[in-house]
Amino acid sequence: MRRLTRAVQRAAWRALTRADAGLNRLYGWRYNPLYHSGALVVALFAVLLVTRIYLLFVYRLGAPYQSVAALTAQPWLGRWIRGLHRYASDAAVIAVAVHGLRMFTQGRSWGPRTLAWITGLILCFVTLICGWTGLVMVWDGPAQVLAQEGARLFDVLPVFAEPISRAFVGERPIPSAFFFLNLFVHIALPIGLGLLVWLHVSRVARPGLLPPRGLLWGTIVLLTLLGVVWPAPLGPPANLFRVPGQAPYDVFYTFWLPLSRALPAGVVWALIVAGSVLLLLVPWLVRPAPVHRPAPSSVNESLCTGCEQCYLDCPYEAIAMIARPGGASEGRSALIAHVDPALCVSCGICSGSCAPMGVGPPGRTGRDQLSAVRAFVAATHPGPRDVVVIACDRGAGGVAGGLAVPGVHVWPVTCAGNLHTSVVEFLIRGGAGGVVVASCPPRDCSNREGPKWLEQRLYHEREAELQERVDRRRVLLVHAGLYERELVVSALEQLQAIIASLERAKGEAEFDLVRECEMDTVGS
Amino acid sequence: MNPTIRRTSGGALALVAIAALGLLSGVPYTPDTAEYAVVRLAWRARGARVHRCRRPTAEELAQLPPHMRPEEICERGITPYRLRVALDDAPAVDELVRAGGARGDRPLFVFHDLRVSPGAHRLMITFEREDAGREHGDADDTESHDSRETPRRLDFADTVVLAPRDIALVTYDYERQRLVLLAASDSGP
Repeated sequence: MRRLTRAVQRAAWRALTRADAGLNRLYGWRYNPLYHSGALVVALFAVLLVTRIYLLFVYRLGAPYQSVAALTAQPWLGRWIRGLHRYASDAAVIAVAVHGLRMFTQGRSWGPRTLAWITGLILCFVTLICGWTGLVMVWDGPAQVLAQEGARLFDVLPVFAEPISRAFVGERPIPSAFFFLNLFVHIALPIGLGLLVWLHVSRVARPGLLPPRGLLWGTIVLLTLLGVVWPAPLGPPANLFRVPGQAPYDVFYTFWLPLSRALPAGVVWALIVAGSVLLLLVPWLVRPAPVHRPAPSSVNESLCTGCEQCYLDCPYEAIAMIARPGGASEGRSALIAHVDPALCVSCGICSGSCAPMGVGPPGRTGRDQLSAVRAFVAATHPGPRDVVVIACDRGAGGVAGGLAVPGVHVWPVTCAGNLHTSVVEFLIRGGAGGVVVASCPPRDCSNREGPKWLEQRLYHEREAELQERVDRRRVLLVHAGLYERELVVSALEQLQAIIASLERAKGEAEFDLVRECEMDTVGS
Repeated sequence: MNPTIRRTSGGALALVAIAALGLLSGVPYTPDTAEYAVVRLAWRARGARVHRCRRPTAEELAQLPPHMRPEEICERGITPYRLRVALDDAPAVDELVRAGGARGDRPLFVFHDLRVSPGAHRLMITFEREDAGREHGDADDTESHDSRETPRRLDFADTVVLAPRDIALVTYDYERQRLVLLAASDSGP
């Protein structure tokens, strides 16, 4: 089972990474909607909430179909608001599916992230139920089929004293109470969604709840345009004395209907339970074996200065500042960092944040990185025109696996966001002409926020910054997904050109100095 | 990539994606493609409440400790009904309809969808109280009745004419205390 799960995970990851690369080419990583799938879900929920307020005022429990038909006929307001509501709910299903697939394929669903995975599944389930009730409220042909199918499924459960199916046989008109119940669930569930979203992001620091403005408004404008040009579909009115004929069905919320109708209700429930259990077990199916599980970060108390930078940078709020055992003393801060192993995902972002190199996962602290780079320099002897590419092995154009370009040495790392700036300085001082740091796109960092903090440390003086004595012209940061090798190669060529001009200028300066010295000697 | 081409391609892709969303939001689908008609039997019946007591057998008493041996074993419930349906003189349903609920004290529910070809069909229904079940020793049955109780036997015989996709409903009319046929009328609220 684990092997099968991993095979599916790898295949889906490849497909998703290729799609990422394609969309990055068109929209750039800042506006790639696949990177913002989670934030798009929240934004679409907000759109649904706002449009729902208007729809509530015009919906009539006593005449649901007639009120929705009248709403759809309003050219100036009702048509596009209903369209926006419907299409936003459809887009939310796509965004939820992409987000879930992303977390699954990137292995971001186990350990401390299990809570987010499970609440995400519940959110997904609640979204589908919410959509179901919304479609039934319209009370057209598809609504009738959905209601009758729902009743058939619930009637096999030993919960209701009387079969629900009886409400839909046509013996008497559908009671308003049924539509009231639907309306109530359709309103009550989104309130629960807010609580679930809070739980979902409760273990991450600074959750990105909204996509970039351009993507947010672009999505809303496009959905509104669709609502105006192509009003949300409305089937013929429900008729309990007719076998439902052809009608427009919303694939996003009724995709299960053909299968469900073909199977006995008990089998459908068995499939629902089996599918749900399988999805709930994902955190246990995809987590590595204990020997391969990365260890959480730890703090070297003798090195910790209590500066709080790791506490500020940790993307998972796994670090707290606590009183130093034994209290403050000469040269020792009163506070030290403390890592909660239950919350730490071993991302290693703290390694790059700690100037004195006192925190990080075993084998990946700043000191460990310096030891490794020392060995790397000793082995490769980079020359003044050579470039070292520090490449994240999850993305970065896949160059971590090797790059056959003369004068280029590749140093693969598990996450560029872990990089301590001293490593860059060591490489430049160790003789390399320049350093290209190739990270994943910031919104696609498997460890969240890594590239963001790295950029600030390299160029914007964030604590644990690259020292001023290092020539920034010799350092280049590039963001590239796995299938965006051309971005890394282009950055490499750019840096090589800069290095060549710097070396030429250096040579000319030396030549002028020698000539001036010679002239001085002749003059004297 | 040239920025103009990139912008144009990006815009085109967004439009295609949004159009696909619109299309998938209303895909024409027919849940039942076959052009059949349906005879639906759906009603709720109230059987007589039965309180049945009997003296336990010697074997039953022997299996219990002396302080737990009852003088009578009593069961409460609602009498079941036998439903027999013949469609065009061929038996279509023959089943015992028991009271609903975990304790069998809820009303009886009949719900059957019989698929038929469009056209005229001769339908005969019998719904009759079943008073079987006195296997154990001496029994002392007490029946309680109320005015809303379904009669001991209901009969229905009629010819129904159905167009394709029509549903004819046979249900119980509480006022007239008999099975009636309801057909094609808009059931919207």
